Amino acid sequence: MERNTVYPFSAIVGQDRMKLALILNIINPRISGVLIRGEKGTAKSTAVRALADVLPMIEVVSGCPFQLSPGDEQVACSDCSNRECSERIIAGRPVEVIRRKVRVVELPVGATEDRVVGTMDLEHALKKGEKRFEPGILAAAHRGILYLDEIDLLDDHVVDVLLDSAAMGINTVEREGVSFIHPASFTLVGTMNPEEGELRPQLLDRFGLCVGIEGIRSSPERVDVMERRIAFEENPGGFCLRWEDESGKTAGRIGAAIGLYPKVKVNRNKFFSIARRCVEAGVDGHRADIITLKTARALAAWNGRCEVLDEDVEIAVELALPHRMRRQPFEEIGAPGKAARAGV
Amino acid sequence: METFSYPFSAVVGQEEMKLALVLNAVEPRIGGVLIRGEKGTAKSTAVRALRGLLPDIKVVAGCVCSCDPDDNSRLCPECAEMIVSGRRPGSEYRRVPIVNLPLNVTEEMVAGGLDLEVALRKGRRCFQAGLLAAANRGILYIDEVNLLDDHIVDIILDAASSGVNAVEIEGLSIRHPSRFILAGTMNPEEGDLRPQLLDRFGLCVEVVGEMDVERRVELMEMRERYDTDPWEFVSLFLREERDVSAHIIRARHAIREVAFPAYLGGLVSELCLQNNVAGHRADIVIKYAATALAAFECRAEVTAGDIRRVAGMALLHRRRDALPPPPESDNPERKENDTDDKKDNGGREEDNPGNQPENSNMDEKDEPDNMAEEFCAGLPETEGPADTPEAGEPSEEVFEPGSTFKVQRFKQEKDRLLRCGSGRRSRTRTAQKTGRYVKSILSNRYPDIAVDATIRAAAPYQGQRKKQDGMAVSIRKDDIRRKVREKRIGNFLLFLVDASGSMGVRARMTATKGAILSLLMDAYQKRDRVAMVTFRRKEAVVNLPPTSSVELAVRHLREMPVGGRTPLTDGLVKGFKLLKVHFLKEPSARPIAIIITDGRANVSTGSGIAPQDEAIVTAEKMAYEERIKFVVVDTEEPGIMKLGFAARLAAALGAEYFRTEDLKAGDLVDIVRRRL
Repeated sequence: MERNTVYPFSAIVGQDRMKLALILNIINPRISGVLIRGEKGTAKSTAVRALADVLPMIEVVSGCPFQLSPGDEQVACSDCSNRECSERIIAGRPVEVIRRKVRVVELPVGATEDRVVGTMDLEHALKKGEKRFEPGILAAAHRGILYLDEIDLLDDHVVDVLLDSAAMGINTVEREGVSFIHPASFTLVGTMNPEEGELRPQLLDRFGLCVGIEGIRSSPERVDVMERRIAFEENPGGFCLRWEDESGKTAGRIGAAIGLYPKVKVNRNKFFSIARRCVEAGVDGHRADIITLKTARALAAWNGRCEVLDEDVEIAVELALPHRMRRQPFEEIGAPGKAARAGV
Repeated sequence: METFSYPFSAVVGQEEMKLALVLNAVEPRIGGVLIRGEKGTAKSTAVRALRGLLPDIKVVAGCVCSCDPDDNSRLCPECAEMIVSGRRPGSEYRRVPIVNLPLNVTEEMVAGGLDLEVALRKGRRCFQAGLLAAANRGILYIDEVNLLDDHIVDIILDAASSGVNAVEIEGLSIRHPSRFILAGTMNPEEGDLRPQLLDRFGLCVEVVGEMDVERRVELMEMRERYDTDPWEFVSLFLREERDVSAHIIRARHAIREVAFPAYLGGLVSELCLQNNVAGHRADIVIKYAATALAAFECRAEVTAGDIRRVAGMALLHRRRDALPPPPESDNPERKENDTDDKKDNGGREEDNPGNQPENSNMDEKDEPDNMAEEFCAGLPETEGPADTPEAGEPSEEVFEPGSTFKVQRFKQEKDRLLRCGSGRRSRTRTAQKTGRYVKSILSNRYPDIAVDATIRAAAPYQGQRKKQDGMAVSIRKDDIRRKVREKRIGNFLLFLVDASGSMGVRARMTATKGAILSLLMDAYQKRDRVAMVTFRRKEAVVNLPPTSSVELAVRHLREMPVGGRTPLTDGLVKGFKLLKVHFLKEPSARPIAIIITDGRANVSTGSGIAPQDEAIVTAEKMAYEERIKFVVVDTEEPGIMKLGFAARLAAALGAEYFRTEDLKAGDLVDIVRRRL
């Protein structure tokens, strides 16, 4: 799809939590993803696709199937299908570099495992009699955003593989006669409809943040939604143009926040308050603490501050903890589970 | 890929896990470690970090199996040939291999297979070593080991037990050494391991998150510093890493001198006996581990204290009680009181962290959660039968939703659930092009060609065959292999629940709900699809259309009201219709219909026949559908007034028949499982 025809990110009415969560993930990809839980027709997919609009630029080796940046450890190169480029790199000669936006890669619901992790290049094998690795979706998603629509509909084993890579930042392939390793660190963005059933806790935990969204209740805003949608459908180009400024501003702010992030200081007492909140919530393990901290920092950066305030922690907790509360398979997310009971 | 990992010494807390890993590094014969624990507790981080501590090993130069040039007894065929032919193999030092077994692995990549490239180019059969070769003398690390495919597990088990990987493929017969430390991590919530594989792990540790705020802060700080500047962070810990590493190397040499006093042998076997472990591996592991511990701590003799410290880790996953329970998970205090653990199984309850609610005194709403929780925790102890009588806690008003059952009673059942559940998911070969590619077979129908296998089959003949236009490979019809795919299928369970007033008598409904809940738990782990039909008052209602959301089912179950008359026939019919529709979608399905009733019918569908007879007639008709497996659970209370309606119903349906009492023993669960 052409860039121009994507609904602009800033034109999405409401759903601020979701937008914020997405933005925070762009600021620091190590927050490791967002899970968007919500009913049908609440702009979940629109928002994720629209992200492309406000994503920052990165440097990528031109034509590299693994989206490597010029300075990257060139692990995948020796077996790369892009011969010309890999020879250059191995010989230490400079390669062509392009600047492009961070990409949103969508995982189709019917994706097979081969397609996700990559497999043997059939054509090459038949023609040349050589084994070669044909990169899959994980390679394409490196340094980008991997979007899983309706994550609950994906095959279980595909999800297992995905999470494995997401956790390690590396895709290890050992199948069909090919052994291959390439970097695959991406921001996982998933959407699901809780009516269709919950995800496994293990899976939930891998998503850094979780936002629940619902349809907008106030009618003026609903009217806004309709009007904008119609305007967009009638004249996508014009509509995008009208919102270009707004999107440009958001993109600029994100860029500034990325720059600011490393400078954000966290007072030690914030560490304590985060840890205390996590213990109180009865989360499993320590991922929650770490993610909350990063989220709070990203929030401060997003607001143009160099210091994390209590309110940042507060919002970060709300984004990072609900889906991590130690809940049993059948409890609802956010339901007063054990955490609440422990407090009594 | 050489990514630098988080340093071992920078892992905050988790002392027992670190100890287990270090002991394995000192004495590889311990046989690996399984780390069980919740998400985000540095399980994987620690295992990966271990590599930084291990000294380099001396290997035959260029050998894929990392053969030891100083040990002629364990050489791979190539190295052996070299020795036999009188050449002196060159040697080199190599980092200890840590082989990560990804979940997407296929069979021939684990065991090794035909080298495609050589075969294609030279028309020669040549062995390409797999991961088991690469892991020789190193660590085979399986993340999420409980999610690994069964057939892969079999290969690994085989190699682990013999130390040799034997491959028979397309006319090649290869044996090469494959001795490795098995390291695995798993989250018990996702299902358990097969006992056989469990036993392969020398030690087993449980990890839980730190609850202490100070420690959590420390951990966060560490992690943040690492993320900000990994290089700096790693170099900061370089010295500590070296210290530990030096310690390990020293202990490796010292271990030969460490004495194991004879009287301790008695202690070890006593411990093993008390815990009713299977086989003798536990004894041996304890001995090795205790010796390694003594060596690591620079002592010349093993003490009883050493044994106590390691015994917990060695027995945790091997302990069996009357009903062998799976390893327990909630045990943060284990480090301090191994002894108690071993010696006093009954004392386990006290070890539970305070936030784990005890079984009693919970208000009724909490109880199902509580049960769920214990269930998922891989619940430990079989409580004595003494607890069972009070199990049937006076039931609430029958019309009230959420009448519950007592936890205790289902404990045993749950135990079984989990343990037998090691083969967790039902698998089926699938005809569609979905599912995981597990192997290939010769076939003359080609909807789903296994390219790699096909080329491999054709490869050896490339020399003789004529090349066709520009293709490097010439493939003939008889080379073509088809993929065999396996899919984890969830089963389809239909619950037909009698919610009439007669079911509301005292503990009956609580027991029934408990049973259903148990089955639902199982369904959750297997990702089954479920549907529920309840019948009460005038008619039956499809409460829950077929869904894979077991959560929904549970919610419905909790809210299910009880009362009114019994339209049994209508229930049967509605359930049957539902299954018929399901067959339209999936003709090959083999659903299980679980009918939970006392069999007493008093509302007819208007056919003019007496309700009771009508139900029987309907049932007889339904029995013709052979694809459906019926199970009838009779909820009638045992007593003098036995009407036996449900038994008749079962006979008419050709169903397996149970009474609630049988069900308590977990038989129903077993029945369902047999079918799965």
